[in-house]
Amino acid sequence: MADAIDNERSIQALTEDKLGNSDLITDDDFVQVPLDTLASEKIDTPKYSYWGSVAKAFFSNKVTVLMLVLVVFILGMSFIQPLFSGYSLKDVSKINDLGARYNWPSSKYWFGTDQNGQSLFDAIWAGARTSISIGVIGTLITTTIGVIVGGIWGVSKRLDKVMLEVYNVISNVPSLLIIIVLSYTLGSGFWNLIFAMTCTSWLGTAYSIRVYVMMYRDREYNIASKTLGTPTFRVVTRNILPYLTSVIVTSASLSLSGFIDYEVFLSYVGVGLSQNVPSLGRLISTYSPYMTSYPYLFWLPVLTLALLTISLYVVGQNLADASDPRTHM
Amino acid sequence: MQTNPEIVLSLRDVAVTYGEGKNALTAVQHVNFDIHKGETFSLVGESGSGKSTIAKAVLGIHDTSSGVVNFEGAQINGKLPAKQRHALDRKIQMIFQDPAASLNERATVDYIISEGLYNYHLYDSEEDREKKVRQMMAEVGLLPEQLYRYPHEFSGGQRQRIGIARALIMQPDLVVCDEPISALDMSIRAQVLNLLKKFQEEEGLTYLFIAHDLSVVRYISDRIAVIRHGRIVEVAETEELFTHPIHPYTQALLSAVPVPDPQLAQHKQLIVYDPSMHHYETDKPSLVEILPGHFVWCNKAEEAKYRGELAGLAG
Amino acid sequence: MSEESTNKTILKVDDLSVNFQVRGKTLKAIHHVSLDLHDGETLAIVGESGSGKSVLTKTFTGMLEQNGKVVGGTIDYNGTRLTDIKTDKEWVKYRGKELATIFQDPMTSLDPIHTIGSQISEVIVKHQGKSKAEAKKMAIQLMTRTGITDAARRYSDYPFQYSGGMRQRIVIAIALACHPKILICDEPTTALDVTTQAQILDLIRELKNEYKFSMIFITHDLGVVASIADRIAVMYSGRIIEIGTCDEIFYDPRHPYTWSLLSSLPQLATKGDNLYSIPGTPPSLYADIKGDAFAPRNPFALKADFKAEPPMFKISDTHYAQTWLLDPRAPKIEKPKIIQNLHERMEKQMESDFMKRAETEDIADAN
Repeated sequence: MADAIDNERSIQALTEDKLGNSDLITDDDFVQVPLDTLASEKIDTPKYSYWGSVAKAFFSNKVTVLMLVLVVFILGMSFIQPLFSGYSLKDVSKINDLGARYNWPSSKYWFGTDQNGQSLFDAIWAGARTSISIGVIGTLITTTIGVIVGGIWGVSKRLDKVMLEVYNVISNVPSLLIIIVLSYTLGSGFWNLIFAMTCTSWLGTAYSIRVYVMMYRDREYNIASKTLGTPTFRVVTRNILPYLTSVIVTSASLSLSGFIDYEVFLSYVGVGLSQNVPSLGRLISTYSPYMTSYPYLFWLPVLTLALLTISLYVVGQNLADASDPRTHM
Repeated sequence: MQTNPEIVLSLRDVAVTYGEGKNALTAVQHVNFDIHKGETFSLVGESGSGKSTIAKAVLGIHDTSSGVVNFEGAQINGKLPAKQRHALDRKIQMIFQDPAASLNERATVDYIISEGLYNYHLYDSEEDREKKVRQMMAEVGLLPEQLYRYPHEFSGGQRQRIGIARALIMQPDLVVCDEPISALDMSIRAQVLNLLKKFQEEEGLTYLFIAHDLSVVRYISDRIAVIRHGRIVEVAETEELFTHPIHPYTQALLSAVPVPDPQLAQHKQLIVYDPSMHHYETDKPSLVEILPGHFVWCNKAEEAKYRGELAGLAG
Repeated sequence: MSEESTNKTILKVDDLSVNFQVRGKTLKAIHHVSLDLHDGETLAIVGESGSGKSVLTKTFTGMLEQNGKVVGGTIDYNGTRLTDIKTDKEWVKYRGKELATIFQDPMTSLDPIHTIGSQISEVIVKHQGKSKAEAKKMAIQLMTRTGITDAARRYSDYPFQYSGGMRQRIVIAIALACHPKILICDEPTTALDVTTQAQILDLIRELKNEYKFSMIFITHDLGVVASIADRIAVMYSGRIIEIGTCDEIFYDPRHPYTWSLLSSLPQLATKGDNLYSIPGTPPSLYADIKGDAFAPRNPFALKADFKAEPPMFKISDTHYAQTWLLDPRAPKIEKPKIIQNLHERMEKQMESDFMKRAETEDIADAN
């Protein structure tokens, strides 16, 4: 019965030809075409590039681009404007010039002037420069140490035992307390403050990297690398850390705004930077008595701080999202 | 097969235990088998049977808790000097089940296939390495222009061939194939099996092939071991196992293979295996060579019964 | 195969097309598919991943993902136009009640924090309006019927206490609790072990004879449908490329893709020969496919296959295939050797294999 109807070719008839394709076909088209086995192996899609796709995903979001413009603007102003303004926190030359003091924002003084007759516009950018520097340097240190230690921590059983104890102790002490105590002991100063802030904060980054490394460590592609004789060090650097780009960017963007906020808080309570260094925190703390009398003096630095941290955060988070290959298609 | 074949891998009374103390869980025990040079030896069992555990013990990914694993005459389980371990890693390679999970998504095909070459410096110069990689890609049917593409750009079958390429470029002696086709589409499976066979013929490779389905292994294996609940219940040459399965579990597995024929499928009888049929309380079982080269896990009483049945068949 | 299958059509799919929007691109998942399901029959839909077999059946119960949309064609169930249903509220009248689905992974259909029994009786209370006590009794009956031993005691177990096979039995029990007219089985045995798979297939077959539902059985493995299907539809790249009775598909396949699916069955392979393999992978569904979707992988491709999509050719009243090879002008091409005389070869193989042993045992038992 198997091949019984094989010879009944005559009963075949075209069914209703919805596609209307039979007209396109002539008798000449019924010749066999040799199979090109390689043709079906071809990949039609354009070549994938990781960072190219990150950029594409990143810039496809309008809010992100807007925030990025804001970040670039604030950065540009903070690092260029102070070069020309010559702003110095200690400059009190205009303190007796009553016309120069307490000017509300105007076309001459965009952000107004303070009790010393200093332009708040100059003050804000000089302050922002310090705050951003602290944030960036702190983040670089934290992230670098965190990633290196976390990478080793995740694969070394011996280190894990020690580090877990250290982590448990330190993570149970409020980090702000550690920073304040360290700042007091070390005395004020830019680098002292950075040391105080980064001294323990890398531990958090390292711990989260450790968790991810442990999660990825036993994935099949890493076992595969082991069977190919790849040393553990290269498994971490070549196989695991590239997968953590998005995690690392997230943590960096969080710590960037975090450090800026710390500086503001510390300056507000009067520790951290030296007296002659302007920063957003110092401005906010100096001008807080004027909150009701000359509100622009207080609110404009606060607004700058808010814009800076929010835009940095949004840019950082979207960069983290974009660096996750699941968003590339 | 008649003359004493060279034994590449032999396992004697191997057991693997997970966890320690009270929570210890014995994944496999009493594992005994030899793999001959140039053959394909298949380990067939259902999920949780311990077949992958055995593979990982052979590769040194899992430690054994007792027994001996011998590879090319030297014991390879337990603590090995780092140098010996490293040298061994090259000789025993693995092909993974899931081609999506077993390739580094952030590396190009070039790096993935070269990874082992880098680790053992198996090339003279950068040109030599690239030549080797391109040659390997051609052998597994990938195109040279795909050298710098990433795994996710490939289809499942192509990825599996990348996995085969990176393992075989190491020129291993033994290749552990852990269900290499079960994650692939039906029409792709034949490509991969043919490829494995081609390499075996050309390079004289020895395969330890792991599968959950007897129908798949019949075509490629020389000998088959059936494993259930961490114990090997039957070992025999392929055709022998298909024609004269002795252990009731093997029979159940064979009867479960779908018959791709509508008329015969109607009449197929499913044999259901009931593990409580064995009475091993006093009469302890062991792996008995019931016919030359045909081993069954049974106790004395069962051995007598099986022998009786075999005599009945012969008569 | 059930004898009571009549020719009354219970579900009619006409010229259905489904598109998905994925990141601004259009994926054509289903391309002009027409299909009838007869009352009481089992229709198997066979295809590889991405062939559209699951998407097709999801349209029957309004369970397409958010980004999927029926862009053309109609689905009629027993006089109701399912493609006109807009709201989830309306779908509830059909989904589960008239058309029930069993999925590959039983855990996706079971609630991990409720007991097995309560999940079955809940469905009975909701759909059949029984009292709680009655529902419990019926649930235990259903559990027993689907092969759960000691059902009364296991009624209050949680899903995690069950093995994969037992969970699938429960999912079947839940599906049957509302006496559906059509049972859609979406790869119900793929995630299971071989022996469990065979048992579940047997169970489904028995239950079908008992409950008299029509069934759509989706699978990627032609091997498993031989014992269960009345008719088989083969899908490739969102198209039905061949449809026929189970015998016609196995003994007289006409489409080269069906040939390759059959040929790749490991049960048919003979040692020493190379397996029949087709190169490459299915085409991307994002691209416009010109001509026959299978042409680039088809060793028997004609020039026509690259120029225009072939129409459905009628081979018999029940057997259709979409390939230019069936055009009267096409050269006559034999199907691959490995699937010629399939029945004779399988019969011979089974005789030498374990089945012979089973028979001798029967004789021994009789003595």
